Amino acid sequence: MDRDEVIRVLRAFESAGLEYVLIGAAAMGFHGLVRTTEDLDLFIRATPENIEKLRTALHAVYEDPNINEISSNDLLGEYPALRYVPPTGDLYFDVMTRLGEIASFETVDAEIKEVDGAHVRVATPAALYRLKNGTVRPQDHLDAAALRERFSLKDEG
Amino acid sequence: MSVQKFRSLEEMNKAPAPELRGSDFERFLRHCARWWAIAPKHYPRGVFKFRSIEEAQAAREKYR
Repeated sequence: MDRDEVIRVLRAFESAGLEYVLIGAAAMGFHGLVRTTEDLDLFIRATPENIEKLRTALHAVYEDPNINEISSNDLLGEYPALRYVPPTGDLYFDVMTRLGEIASFETVDAEIKEVDGAHVRVATPAALYRLKNGTVRPQDHLDAAALRERFSLKDEG
Repeated sequence: MSVQKFRSLEEMNKAPAPELRGSDFERFLRHCARWWAIAPKHYPRGVFKFRSIEEAQAAREKYR
């Protein structure tokens, strides 16, 4: 995957009308905190129509029958997280409809950013901080510290 | 300003950072693209589903 492929995917999300919010390292990149990653993390609104839009967007970029395995029954049921590794393979998509009881598309504050003509719904720094603060993953601790310092964020009491 | 000269490390550290090309997200993409080129990963292709984010993270660790 290269830069242009990422832009094509983001444009396809917009064209399909996918309701999503970008979180994780890519969202941090939009806020000026640049580190490497292997995945684009996104929350999507948990409706069958929106999951169909996700399939439509991915089909617009990739000729890959695996995309048809993305199912509303899974994402709205027992499997709220899925990973799609496209044929290009360097970078994959982690798509979530909810994160335990703490977060979903509806609960993550977002703002619209633009890259090369694509409009991208990106979690705010404070929302990213809330997601990353308090998890057990060491990388999340580093990310939370970077967000706290850059944006003068404070823990919520 | 392609070359800056400094008399000491302290002087260098105080100098403003050079202006970076492109937006923050473009820098992110370039940074990742270099890394993907240097250290390509070989994940199995396709769709994988998980009951929790912890399960998804554990699956990723298997391919590091």
